[in-house]
Amino acid sequence: MRKIFAAIVLATLAIGFVGAHASADENVSPAEHRRLFRDGARLWPVYCNTCHNARPGDEKAPYEWNLIIMHMRTLGNLPAGDVRALVEYLKSR
Amino acid sequence: MPTRQIFSIFLFACAVVALSLVGLARAADSDGGDAAALKEIRSEMRQLREERKRDREVIHSLEIKVQQLETKDSKVETTTQQLQSTDQKLKETTLELQQTNAQVKTLQTKVDAPIPSPEFGDAISRYLGTHSFTITGAAGGNFVYDQQSGALDGLHSASQNSFFFDWEPMILYRPTDWILFEGVISTAFGSTGTGVDLSTADFQIFLNDYMTVVAGLFDQPFGDWYENQSPMWVNRFVTAPLPFGVEPVVPPAELGVQLRGGAQFGSLGQDFDYTVWGGNGPSYTSNVLGAVVSSPTAVANSQTNGKSIGARFRVYPLPVDSEMGRLELGASTYNGKWANGNWFNSWGVDFNYFIGNLQTRGEWLQSYRQMPNGVGADNRQGWYVQGGYFLTDLNIPGLPGMLNSYLHRFEPLVRYSGVNQRGVSTDDIAAGTGVGQGGFQAGLVPDFGINGSPATYAPHSREVALGLDYWIAPSIVWQNEFDIELPRSGGVFVSPTGAETPAGSIPNDRAFLSQFTIGF
Repeated sequence: MRKIFAAIVLATLAIGFVGAHASADENVSPAEHRRLFRDGARLWPVYCNTCHNARPGDEKAPYEWNLIIMHMRTLGNLPAGDVRALVEYLKSR
Repeated sequence: MPTRQIFSIFLFACAVVALSLVGLARAADSDGGDAAALKEIRSEMRQLREERKRDREVIHSLEIKVQQLETKDSKVETTTQQLQSTDQKLKETTLELQQTNAQVKTLQTKVDAPIPSPEFGDAISRYLGTHSFTITGAAGGNFVYDQQSGALDGLHSASQNSFFFDWEPMILYRPTDWILFEGVISTAFGSTGTGVDLSTADFQIFLNDYMTVVAGLFDQPFGDWYENQSPMWVNRFVTAPLPFGVEPVVPPAELGVQLRGGAQFGSLGQDFDYTVWGGNGPSYTSNVLGAVVSSPTAVANSQTNGKSIGARFRVYPLPVDSEMGRLELGASTYNGKWANGNWFNSWGVDFNYFIGNLQTRGEWLQSYRQMPNGVGADNRQGWYVQGGYFLTDLNIPGLPGMLNSYLHRFEPLVRYSGVNQRGVSTDDIAAGTGVGQGGFQAGLVPDFGINGSPATYAPHSREVALGLDYWIAPSIVWQNEFDIELPRSGGVFVSPTGAETPAGSIPNDRAFLSQFTIGF
């Protein structure tokens, strides 16, 4: 029981720590935005078509892509850097 | 004769002689002059012949020169034409380059332009709040025609000639950029009326770039089918392949926790990913051989007292820029205990490859179920392989452009799938399994996502599915499927008491399914 409790505490601390770290990734420079956009344009037809037809960015509002890409990151186990590129591309339309 | 006469004759003769002599003399003189003239003429003729010969030689020489000149002229003309053609091509290429440069400049301008309107986006984000929410999912209506040719070993048989509708909303809720909640509810009107099922409901916590925790009810991350291919607008066919149909080889879902993530190991697109998970474990509709392995929500895990663990590893070896397409190779395993500690083990491999308009994928999976009371193991195998080709680049000469544009939207498909298992529970056949989308599938007739015709319940089932999809938009499709069931002999049917009867004749069923689906 103690082991389970300790594991839960450790997991909670880990989630809090890495979650806060992930939140700081929003602030990127314009040059980084452009790099992400270019990478996203290359990845979009490849990653999406692996399972289904690639859907154009203007189908959804930018805020919706934030949610959908999180969902797709989990389903496809997409690398985090590539996910940032994809969402940048889809939100820029 | 008188003398006068003689004298006259004599004179006449003398005169004749004299004249003859004069003529001869004159002739002699004349012969000398003619010979000279003749000689001169002959000499002139020789000269003339020589001159003629020279002239001929000169003419021949001139003719050769003329021919040579003509040949040269022809070559010059050809070269001139080639130069003109090259010049034209150069002009066209220059024009294309100018157009391309203009396009590149336009694109560069767009790329270099500031990312659009942060103020407006920020305003909308503030209006929407920090907790965002959206609904996606899919909806579809279909028509099924299945005129069954006979009963399955004296068991129930039915025919289908009906319309159905299915709606599967997915709710996504994002309280922060590292937490997401996802829930899918399947609601449908099917062969037994309206049904509702909770398909998935889980939290996704993004720990870092390489680790994500998923906790709750989720599609089984075994292979590719349940997680990635089962949504109706994603599946290229109307029905699932046999290993994921009425007699699934591994459970379709799990209630538990996952740890998963992915990373790039080479160039852009060269990735690998992993998923490990544990859960409540497999459960079955009954303890008899051939009982259906169930969704966690269907039997509430009454058949299990053990937990499960699973793992999946996938690799994508081809870089994006190689233009060699996208290849996925994966391997999965899922193991646990059911019914008082009896083992369940399974493993499988899968692939997925697409390049251009061609899409292919396939899976092979196998499971072992330890049976209680000394009954032999309930082993199962399943597989499928499918391919499709978009007719995007097909242009039939002579066909109007509008018709060609319609033709470009078609995708012909073919799939071969099969399942081998020792036996099938007659309870499952008669009552339906509930493993389909909506959770109310009644068995022995096709329904949403599942071809439930009798032949698919055969212990050794085989199916060839022919498909023709018409894509109206990337997520809007009209799908048509013709299923040819080709069950093999062998295996047993198992009664609720466990009594086994060899499977007899099984009708080779045919079914037609047409479905209109929107992914939203």
